[in-house]
Amino acid sequence: MSIFTRNRSVPIFIGILALFALLVTVMSEAYGTGAISVSFTKVLGMTLCLCLAALAMDLVWGYCGILSLGHFAFFGLGGYGIGMWLMTARTEAVVRANLANQVIPPTEAEVSEATALQIFSVVGGEDWPWMWAASGSLFLSLLLIVVVPGLLALVFGWLAFRSRVTGVYLSILTQAMTLALSLYLFQNDTGLRGNNGLSGLQNIPGAESIGQDRISIWFFWASALALGLTYIGAAWLVSGKFGNIVRGIRDDEQRVRFLGYKVEAYKLFVFTLTGVLCGVAGALYYPQAGIINPDEIAPIASIYLAVWVAIGGRGRLYGAVIGAAVVSLLSTYFTGGRAPDVNLGFMTIEWVDWWPVLLGLGFVLVTLFAPKGLGGLVDYIVRKDRT
Amino acid sequence: MKTLLRAAMTLAISLCLAATASAQDASLQDILQEHAEEIADPSRGTVGQTLTALVETDHPALPGFLTRWQNREAYQRDADGLFVYVEDEDADPLVLLDIESGEPIGTAGSREVTQLRPNGGVRRVIGGALVQFQLGAENPATRLEALSAIANDPDESYLPMVRARLEAEEDPAVRARLEVVLPGLIIAFAEDDAARVEAIRSLDGNVSLDARATLNRLLSTSREVSDVLPDDANVATVLTPGSDQLSIEDAYAMLVAADLAPPLISRTEQRDVLAANVVDGRVGGVPVATLNTETARDAAYDALVAEGIATPLPTQDEVDAAIESHVFYDAYTEPSSAVTDSARATLDSIETRVGVYRFFDLSLDGISLASIYFLAAIGLAITFGVMGVINMAHGEFIMIGAYTGYVVQTLIADYTLSIAVALPLAFAVTFALGVLMERAVIRWLYHRPLETLLATFGISIALQQIIRQIFGTQARPFTPPDWLAGSVTINDVISISSIRIAIFLLGVIFFVMLWLILNRTRLGLEVRAVTQNPAMAASMGINPDRINMLTFGLGSGIAGVAGVAIGLFAQVVPDMGSNYIVQSFMTVVVGGVGNIFGTLIGAGMIGSLQKAIEWLNPTNTLAAQTYMILFVILFIQFRPRGIIALRGRAAGD
Repeated sequence: MSIFTRNRSVPIFIGILALFALLVTVMSEAYGTGAISVSFTKVLGMTLCLCLAALAMDLVWGYCGILSLGHFAFFGLGGYGIGMWLMTARTEAVVRANLANQVIPPTEAEVSEATALQIFSVVGGEDWPWMWAASGSLFLSLLLIVVVPGLLALVFGWLAFRSRVTGVYLSILTQAMTLALSLYLFQNDTGLRGNNGLSGLQNIPGAESIGQDRISIWFFWASALALGLTYIGAAWLVSGKFGNIVRGIRDDEQRVRFLGYKVEAYKLFVFTLTGVLCGVAGALYYPQAGIINPDEIAPIASIYLAVWVAIGGRGRLYGAVIGAAVVSLLSTYFTGGRAPDVNLGFMTIEWVDWWPVLLGLGFVLVTLFAPKGLGGLVDYIVRKDRT
Repeated sequence: MKTLLRAAMTLAISLCLAATASAQDASLQDILQEHAEEIADPSRGTVGQTLTALVETDHPALPGFLTRWQNREAYQRDADGLFVYVEDEDADPLVLLDIESGEPIGTAGSREVTQLRPNGGVRRVIGGALVQFQLGAENPATRLEALSAIANDPDESYLPMVRARLEAEEDPAVRARLEVVLPGLIIAFAEDDAARVEAIRSLDGNVSLDARATLNRLLSTSREVSDVLPDDANVATVLTPGSDQLSIEDAYAMLVAADLAPPLISRTEQRDVLAANVVDGRVGGVPVATLNTETARDAAYDALVAEGIATPLPTQDEVDAAIESHVFYDAYTEPSSAVTDSARATLDSIETRVGVYRFFDLSLDGISLASIYFLAAIGLAITFGVMGVINMAHGEFIMIGAYTGYVVQTLIADYTLSIAVALPLAFAVTFALGVLMERAVIRWLYHRPLETLLATFGISIALQQIIRQIFGTQARPFTPPDWLAGSVTINDVISISSIRIAIFLLGVIFFVMLWLILNRTRLGLEVRAVTQNPAMAASMGINPDRINMLTFGLGSGIAGVAGVAIGLFAQVVPDMGSNYIVQSFMTVVVGGVGNIFGTLIGAGMIGSLQKAIEWLNPTNTLAAQTYMILFVILFIQFRPRGIIALRGRAAGD
């Protein structure tokens, strides 16, 4: 594993992540002291998923220079992919339990019909929409999580890069993509329950007897594992020749093209890969969140993703993780109502209200005075070590 | 019926007399007392004369009395014969009201007064007199009201009055209404088909909803089934079972409903039958536990049929044969085919015309939507299009403009004046904010365009939250003045609200003004110079800092003014800006960066396109927006630099 020696951040990052996972396990309700509640375990697991999405964002923006403001669309698609299976399987189990009291045992068609009615009556439907065709099978659903975001990224990227849409134009186009997707999902008749979204995703089919305390920690482990593997993979990817070319594209696209490289192919590969990574992150995130609705993929979510990477520091992988973890955990802390209010005498600062203002001004300050983000701090410390 | 008509005709004549006779000073009570006997106990033969006499007096309170009389709400006091109304007919004692002033004049037990109870025929004559009274009224609005009453409750007796009125009518609005009401009456009541057809023809070209409703009523059909097509039915269409119009299932259901075929049973009913016949854990010999497939259930049901417990089901062949041997058709409820044919032809011709008008209406909608997009985007066309700054806080400038309008309106009560104050004030506020933002943040980031995006996004969420802190999350009322609240209606198809016209005009003014500023003033020249090549501009004696500041302020200020206009029809809430930001960027990009003319075309294209998509699927504006965005994404593939692309050095790269 040469990547561990070549990139010093990899062993450190994996070490810290493993330590963190161990710590959380020891303090969890299911396997440890119970100092960390089930809901907070879920928050931590979800944060790891956001870090994974931020890592993907760093690959596509920090390394390849494509400021995509639509990567949360892939994240949401992953969530919808797994959500369809979770909701179908769960609802089917409930329906079977209800129908079991009948004198005559139900046929498969009756179960399917009743399940569809249960799921879609909220939007006035009773038939299975076509996109739920794979929802009966876990394997197909897992495939969907990879294929759907990947395919969307591939088609969109191919169209955009082929006609050399770059820079700001591409950012706006990706915004438009995620806006279009969320508007599409907001419609009641498109088959994904409109603005009701998919809910009850925290109930894992076949695991009814296992409590949420253990399920939450299992998902936390899965998220940590995904993040760790992706980190190693990403570090390997950017360390070799591929990484150099991609960085070259970021710094001067024309020059790389004149050197004979197929710039579009590289960009398309990175765009699609990161789309898939976001899809996986979303598929891990929403079973922990329990609910997904089209609001989640509104354009602002993707902008936040970019902001996390900017705050953490671009082009250094761990920066994205730090940025996502710090900003999203702080947001949870301050908007969760647990932060103590500050009494200034003439007025009381309630963090729930003032946190967005502080956050917004924080973005401005980081952009103006610390273009390297929090990662710049690491540079500072490392350089001090050397001298 | 003849006496009725005669009574009505006499009334018509007397009405003309009434109009010329001078109003008498006598009170209504005195007039009524003169005819007290007739009113208390009217007969159909003589009430006409009484009414004529009453109508001749032309007393203003008479219509009120006639209405009450007709509705059996008028009373007579037994002691002195005084005509009164009562406040509440179930009360005891009754509170008596004066028939002219409506003031209470005393109380009486229910035995001390007699309710006037004209019979059906008399009430009809009274109703005719009333309508007549109103049809001949001075005020056109009253005449229109009378026509609406006739249209809602048509009666043959109105026919001659309406016909007479049409000949005399001069007011265009009333005349237009008469031209619909009269054919409606003729179609409904004339005996002669030729007259009805002529009435139908006279509606040709009339796009009003009433005319279309009248014709559609004539063309209403009912779905029938019979062995052979009956000769006397006025058949609209003969239906083929299994076609789009009539599915096999529906056709068979019709046969069942008409008792022409035995019923099929649904899966649910089959299950219920099976469940009702479980014997020792078996149904018809089949174990219950295995009944979880349709084949097993069918087998069990067949067994029940064999035992004679369940009713036998028709086989598929029998179903087919039953459908085959019957004919399904839609029949008009109107028996005359001449009438329905001409109604169909006339309606088709009207629908064609309505289609044309609808296209005009849709075009107006498209233009109006385009002007909203244009207003929202034009500030951005300057800050993003000309200067290249990605200002994510643009939407918040629009929002602050709208809130400025709201605040001004709380201070100045007069809506017109408050808007006149709000427009320049919103410009000033957002101009100042824009200049502040440019000085504090953006000028440091001119060489890092993607980072302005992040910084201005931070400013946008901060601004949004600050406004939320001050004004709360609830929508704030920002009301347009009355002269903007209405709408301009050309006919029942084409109408547009005044505020949208105002927004269109505002958009035109903005466009002309900005075009002049950028192309015909010293400032515009310097702006163009600085955006193309700041270093060269600076060496020519232009201060790029100052120009950038002013340009950004101008763009922001215009966003504020647009906000006032948008706030007049949209909800004024702290996050209203985010509804416009992506669309605005798309408008600028589609139109072509660096060119406000491009923004105009971009807005026009996006607006009319969205309306066109909405027209294809009118119930769903979300879908229209989705497809519009998809179109824009595809469009950018083919013209990455927008509709109007800058060439050469001006393009900047």
